[in-house]
Amino acid sequence: MTDTIVAPTAQVTPTVEPLLRVVNVVKHFGAGGGASVKAVDGVSFAIMPGETVGLVGESGCGKSTLGRLITQLIPVSSGEVYLDGVDITKLRGEKLRQQRKQLQMIFQDPYASLDPRMTVGDIIAEPLVNFAMIKGRAKDVRVQELLRTVGLNPYFNNRYPHEFSGGQRQRIGIARALALNPKLIICDEPVSALDVSIQAQIINLLEDLQREFELTYLFIAHDLSVVRHISNRVMVMYLGRICEIAPSEDLYTSQEHPYTRALLSSIPVPDPRIESKRRLVELSGEIPSPLNPPSGCRFHTRCPIAQVPGVCADVEPQLELKGDGHLAACHFSEQVRTKIAIVN
Amino acid sequence: MTDAILEVRNLSTHFFTDDGEVKAVRDVSFSIAPGETVGIVGESGCGKSVTAMSVMGLVGRPGKVVGGEIMFRGRDLLKLSKEEFRNIRGRDIAMIFQDPLSSMNPVLRVGYQIDEAMYAHDKIPRDQVERRAIDLLAQVRVSDAARRIRQFPHQFSGGMRQRAMIAMGLSNKPDLLIADEPTTALDVTVQAQILELLRDLNEQTGAAIILITHNLGVVAGLCKRVLVMYAGEIVEEGTVEQIFESPQHPYTWSLLRSVPRIDARRGHRLLSIEGLPPDLIDLPQGCKFNPRCPFRVERCFNESPPIEQVAPAQYAACWVTMERAYAEMGAGDIIDTSPGAASGVHPAGRTLPAAEVPAALAEPVGD
Repeated sequence: MTDTIVAPTAQVTPTVEPLLRVVNVVKHFGAGGGASVKAVDGVSFAIMPGETVGLVGESGCGKSTLGRLITQLIPVSSGEVYLDGVDITKLRGEKLRQQRKQLQMIFQDPYASLDPRMTVGDIIAEPLVNFAMIKGRAKDVRVQELLRTVGLNPYFNNRYPHEFSGGQRQRIGIARALALNPKLIICDEPVSALDVSIQAQIINLLEDLQREFELTYLFIAHDLSVVRHISNRVMVMYLGRICEIAPSEDLYTSQEHPYTRALLSSIPVPDPRIESKRRLVELSGEIPSPLNPPSGCRFHTRCPIAQVPGVCADVEPQLELKGDGHLAACHFSEQVRTKIAIVN
Repeated sequence: MTDAILEVRNLSTHFFTDDGEVKAVRDVSFSIAPGETVGIVGESGCGKSVTAMSVMGLVGRPGKVVGGEIMFRGRDLLKLSKEEFRNIRGRDIAMIFQDPLSSMNPVLRVGYQIDEAMYAHDKIPRDQVERRAIDLLAQVRVSDAARRIRQFPHQFSGGMRQRAMIAMGLSNKPDLLIADEPTTALDVTVQAQILELLRDLNEQTGAAIILITHNLGVVAGLCKRVLVMYAGEIVEEGTVEQIFESPQHPYTWSLLRSVPRIDARRGHRLLSIEGLPPDLIDLPQGCKFNPRCPFRVERCFNESPPIEQVAPAQYAACWVTMERAYAEMGAGDIIDTSPGAASGVHPAGRTLPAAEVPAALAEPVGD
């Protein structure tokens, strides 16, 4: 395989302030009868300017809710979200609107996230119009420039979304997200609805745009291979909490949380020789209900190395530094790689 | 092969829509040996599901099998009456679908739905049906099967439902199980369990499995042989090792290089396949992959390549093949994957950058 080495997209230096800082964010949805779904239950992390941070987890783990909390599409139950040093959970009305300009989102479903009755030009120009930044001829020029930037024909601006394929629609969604020159883009499963050959086009486009416009991404997806490819760091989420944050290079070789290890063991590799040796870490049972998450470590009911009864069932582990930029929330992280085999 | 249980010869299935004739599957031939596991891979609209539906006799209007033969244990399924086909479908050939929730009846108990398949065919003695349903559910590793059998589909999780679907498919001890994207709607940890289950069941029951998927990793783990489809045709066929280690069709080769691998060194750029799959109503002349192929030559524009043997048990439909692309076009060092980039063949009028192909002319047809 040819490897084209591309320049690292982020130089993370400790002196730089994080672009995004999420502090102990909680979101509980009322579920009737006094019960509540603890969709996001105390999450903290930071993203440096120019960095791509991936967020993975299985359905229902709270990853999409977390993305929507950061954009303030839904309000937090508690906690703070600092964007460029400003806590946007405390802002309302016009102040929030102005601050939110720096923050854009790309959605999973390219069919549902574009208004079918608007032309592509109007869709892309809408953020510009909302913020009254530009109008008339200058607006058309900017729209055409954005279309060209995402690899579409600039004269497609009078067409409607239904005239485009899934991959092309996702390009339109990306052009709309770029219109206001944001600093941070939250990509919520941006390629999971696309065909394999189209996925690579969009991933490469996102990487190119990041270099060109110094963008910062939070990349949310269930596909760990895609997330690891595009991200500098990867966060793994389970049942409303982050259980591991690791540099992407480390993720495949050294896992510090049993759930991450199990997740990795279940990803099929397009190579029959590796596949014949891969050993699945079987997780017992189903994901517990977020209505009533297990005591202590949330993963202890399915964990192959949990000490139950004992500390795992009683004490909730916190994210702790386990290596260079590598955090995990596990009482027995030193046993993860020795006790859980993933190759035969 | 004469001992094949399924032999599909020159199958063509078209859909007669208001916009024109969608040639979804064209001249597809393959065979399946007893107990074999074969993967059919391709992207949406490549015809993989329509091929399966044709074998199951489930192509409805406006679709129609317009040509070919589907020989199952020596009988051409296309010549059977509806009644005769019903006796084979669900009995000797079973199918499991992608979305277990919409393929089950929400108001009937899971046990009843498993029993139904067995009562319909009388292959299993009636007094053994209920007992067998519980055994099957246990065999597909649903715990507490005797209680679970009395529950409704909504009380099952996604993975459990897919297990129940597999139990239904296996209930009449079929010779062939067709699994159409059986794990696409599931989480990776559940996907891995279902694949392991299918692998074990193949060994235990001896049922041949056709696995239809877009996920190359899934194929690598379960199948012994792979068919790669593109735009309604089989473009390459080989053993799983051949397909993954020395693919000869540029589409197979490109597909493998366009997916990020969990075990890969980071920092390299994905080699994307530029452009879109062709419109199945208005197909390009010559090779159907030529508008996207970095290795195309002049001949690819005019003549459609036949599928030919390129190695023992490996077949590819390509005028160039990757062996030549490596030797003459530097395929090993390719960075630019735009059409004709490696071969330098850009006939007049075809130099439009891939992303600027008018969408209305290149809209893929979903399956």
